[in-house]
Amino acid sequence: MRNVAIVGIGHSRFGKRSDVNVAELAFESIKQAIEDAKIDKKQIQNVTLGSAGGWYEESLPAVIINEYAGFENVGTMRVEAACASGSAAVRSAYLSVASGEADITLAIGVEKMTEVDTLTSVELMGRAGSYLWEFENYGMTFPAYYALYAVSHMNKFGTTEEDLARVAVKAHHYASLNPLAHFQKEITIEKALNSQVVAWPLKLYDACPISDGSAAVVLASEDVARKMTDTPIWIRGIGLSSDSANLSKRGEYLGLEATVQSSRRAYSLARTSPGDIDVATCHDCFTIAELMAYEDLGLCEKGQGAKLVREGQTEIGGKIAVNPDGGLKAKGHPIGATGVSMMVEISKQLRHEAGKRQAPIKNGIGLVHNVGGTGHYCYVTVLSRSL
Amino acid sequence: MSNEDSLPSRRTLSLRFNIAISKTKEFWAALREGKLITTKCTSCGKVTFPPQADCPNCMSSGHEWIDLGTDAVLVTFTNVQITPTSFVNHDPYIVGIGRLADGPNVLAWVEGATVEQLRPGDRLRLEARVSPEGNPYYVFVKN
Ligand SMILES: [Zn+2]
Repeated sequence: MRNVAIVGIGHSRFGKRSDVNVAELAFESIKQAIEDAKIDKKQIQNVTLGSAGGWYEESLPAVIINEYAGFENVGTMRVEAACASGSAAVRSAYLSVASGEADITLAIGVEKMTEVDTLTSVELMGRAGSYLWEFENYGMTFPAYYALYAVSHMNKFGTTEEDLARVAVKAHHYASLNPLAHFQKEITIEKALNSQVVAWPLKLYDACPISDGSAAVVLASEDVARKMTDTPIWIRGIGLSSDSANLSKRGEYLGLEATVQSSRRAYSLARTSPGDIDVATCHDCFTIAELMAYEDLGLCEKGQGAKLVREGQTEIGGKIAVNPDGGLKAKGHPIGATGVSMMVEISKQLRHEAGKRQAPIKNGIGLVHNVGGTGHYCYVTVLSRSL
Repeated sequence: MSNEDSLPSRRTLSLRFNIAISKTKEFWAALREGKLITTKCTSCGKVTFPPQADCPNCMSSGHEWIDLGTDAVLVTFTNVQITPTSFVNHDPYIVGIGRLADGPNVLAWVEGATVEQLRPGDRLRLEARVSPEGNPYYVFVKN
């Protein structure tokens, strides 16, 4: 396998983007990524699109986007791993280069979620489990699946609703420093705690918003990357795993086993450990998900996630900066775009291009943790400044 | 309604899936009669819930139907306040995962208690029900 680097990054503004259709939205990121890589688009040998689909009118978004962006006679496909579709797309583009099939590839993530009404969106996400046994008769929703974990975690470890609110306050703070984030305003713990209950004990401010957005990365082989840029960001390892579709088949509801498995595989491939990581994007679709991610990724012991956020250890300047872009929670979570957006953020951080939300970089190692569904899929990617 | 920024499509799409249950029809027939049963592999003895004809452990398709049992302990739960489009006429509902005395976990609505009255570890009973539309389902009832 050859070494592979991220050599170009692009990211749209996240939010309610009723000003663009899905192809126009993807184009914003594609153009930036190609300009950032300083290549001609004809040099891209294949394109992979991460998009869950179903929220917008196009059934074949990969070819719609290829046509709009002028990729002629270029192989493409859409990959689906629910909310981890973006990481799955990057993995596909990575494997194409690593295997020697191609020297330069493009991975795009996009979702246009606000073309349907909010409760239809709630329905589409609620069906993302084991349909007949969780939705047909019981009407599960995405917050409800994570609420099952929150209740168990709070009962076992004493995690409180205030701890969850702290995660939300941190996310909104960093989003206010990120001009591309869906939310641009700070919130208080009181505001989070007093917001509407969506699936007890989770409230509106425990949940990521429904967002439109896109992101893109250009990948290149080591030989090509070194000629293209002085700041290649190396993909050192991608670990992936999955868990049962039906949540009733899980164990204790205290963490996501798919995160544990995929992160250990990624650390092993990258020959690194949690203590070496300077900055991470963790999959915080809900506040409880960020606390469980700290534990499952090995950033702290099981049950200590709330302590980490109480002590500010996951803020910029703490032990490890987590979600300095505002996270899914406040930057927004356009499903298929999220994994690619995370790659873009960690690349910016490792290149020292993150501006007001730049984390200190000591070891030059960053982590992308991208979960699909309720721990149904997980992809963990280790990125670094040097090989 | 239309404005300069968006074109609301005139074409609507309504999807209703016909879900095949021929390999587990015994489960649905028994449920309609008020009984809860599930599959047990006749090769390796693996009990599965939800029922499935093909064993995920040894991949054998030989199976028998056994009583699921009704005594359960509440593992975790939530109260769904914002309900999806197709549940829009329902009041908020409590969903729990219960661990049956005989092994498998079951996810179902929990009746007979408010969310404030529930704690992990509570004893539950699994009961068969038929919906107003005539579909069989099952719920937990707090003892
Ligand atoms: Zn078997």
